[in-house]
Amino acid sequence: MAKLLDKQRYKCALGAMQTVQAITRAIPVLHSGPGCAQKLSDSTGSSGYFSPNIFPCTSINEKDVVFGGTKKLETTIENALKVIDADLYVVLTGCIPEIVGDDTGEVVSRFEDADKPVIYASTAGFKGNNYIGHEQVIDAIIDQYLEKSEEKEKGLVNIWADVPYQDLFWLGNIRELEKLLAEIGLTPNTIFGYNRGIDQINKIPKAEFNLLVSPWVSVGNMKKMEKKLGLPWLHLPTLPIGAFETSKFLREVGKFAGVNEEKVESVINEHENYYYYLIERYADLFLENRVINKQFSVVADAQYALGITKFLANDLGLVPAKQFIVDDTPKQYREAITEEFKKLNFNLQADVIFETDSYKIHEQIKEHDYHGYPLILGSYYEKELTESLKGNYLNIAWPVQDKVVLDDFYAGYTGGIRLIEDIYTVAVQRFN
Amino acid sequence: MSYKIAVASSDGKQIDESFGSAKRFIIYEVVDGKYNFLEERIFQQEKSGKDTESSTEKCATSGSCEIEGSCNNQTAGCGSGAGEGTAKVELISDCRCIVCQKIGFRIQKQLERKAISAFDVSVPVEEALAKIAYYFERMDNHESLRAKRI
Repeated sequence: MAKLLDKQRYKCALGAMQTVQAITRAIPVLHSGPGCAQKLSDSTGSSGYFSPNIFPCTSINEKDVVFGGTKKLETTIENALKVIDADLYVVLTGCIPEIVGDDTGEVVSRFEDADKPVIYASTAGFKGNNYIGHEQVIDAIIDQYLEKSEEKEKGLVNIWADVPYQDLFWLGNIRELEKLLAEIGLTPNTIFGYNRGIDQINKIPKAEFNLLVSPWVSVGNMKKMEKKLGLPWLHLPTLPIGAFETSKFLREVGKFAGVNEEKVESVINEHENYYYYLIERYADLFLENRVINKQFSVVADAQYALGITKFLANDLGLVPAKQFIVDDTPKQYREAITEEFKKLNFNLQADVIFETDSYKIHEQIKEHDYHGYPLILGSYYEKELTESLKGNYLNIAWPVQDKVVLDDFYAGYTGGIRLIEDIYTVAVQRFN
Repeated sequence: MSYKIAVASSDGKQIDESFGSAKRFIIYEVVDGKYNFLEERIFQQEKSGKDTESSTEKCATSGSCEIEGSCNNQTAGCGSGAGEGTAKVELISDCRCIVCQKIGFRIQKQLERKAISAFDVSVPVEEALAKIAYYFERMDNHESLRAKRI
């Protein structure tokens, strides 16, 4: 039977134009059909100095399919260099030029001597989704731009997390991770968001190591950097949300970086004191509010499914029902991620299902007995479903239509408090 | 399945004429992916559409009556942006595509209405025909173009 294509939870690889956009003063140059950027630019927070409406694009048509579009690509890059004042030009290819066989790499190589760096990433939609596209862009920076550095900066750590724009909280999260690292005396380096651009990219090879905070996204990038730039890397699959994971996070980073243990413990102590002060003060709310029932499901990408499941189980003492990972995680990472869901406190384990078909996910949620109102944290697609089950719903994954986030975040101690606020705001609204 | 390709070339070897300036089109017929010369179609400058008396009079005074006439007297003439173009489009209306060096936006729109593709390229005629025949063959058989381009 034919499958219905509906409720997509991610975009095609060309969606990586948002990864480029997240690097300040970097511009994507699209070698794609007209309209690709338009279709992919629905995320909020994407206007500004460069917005998808002005991304240079070859707008290839039938003629370029028959005769090749490389000439058009060359003039598009040439003119982009003339009229757009950017620090980094990233050529992204769509499906059409890759199907018909345009040699984008060759065209881009003609700009080796340009005043500004021009690189390219192969982001044809049939190669994967925008999580893969994000990796392709970072790979392109490593392969085509970065050089190994003999000079190292003491305490400098590159932080890599999930996909900008696809992750609603990308900006706030990465800033909070930076802050945490700075508190234990390290110097964080990231390339996305305000005031982060080509200078930060140039610093990458000088770091002591790479810190990857993601279940699977960018694992390939880390391996590439290890090989080419000689950068060791620490992989922490769980986005730290709340005290339990964040303290663990700081200890592991501190140990890997060789930070004085006392220093780390004193930072942890200070944060935990405040964190539990807040929890204590609101304990009556948590205890008395029976609306938050015992069980929850997260329907999100691997990052949030794992991070939030750990937080709700470890910090809030809720019981995980089935968890759904919807980012089409590559098969080689699935086993390790499934294992992570078994490492919960109180000997709890969570069932995790890798599924992109909303219908199947919704059927399983409907069938499950949540012992009361379910708590569903997911994309906008779960709203109607949760309403029909009289559950509590929070929109935390793409697509987001129920929440406006400028620089809010769920990472760290503060992030955990924010998530509690959001969940209990939904819960109390039920009766008010 | 067969279809026709119109080519704007002055010497039959190189695509070197724009749609507007071409005085003739070479028509090739493609049968089962193989192309063969079919015929040549000469574009007849339109006789002033409606031979009114005034234009006949004008003819007597002006030597270039045909050209002027075609512009001034046709109701659907140059003034509306079609004119000569429309007649030229008619000339190749049974073709699947037109290959010429350059083509205007308006004419392209008129061709689009008749589902005729326009390719504005400057390549040898042979190359154009081979590439287009390959492309349409793939399309018609619902085959991917994901193969080495010829």
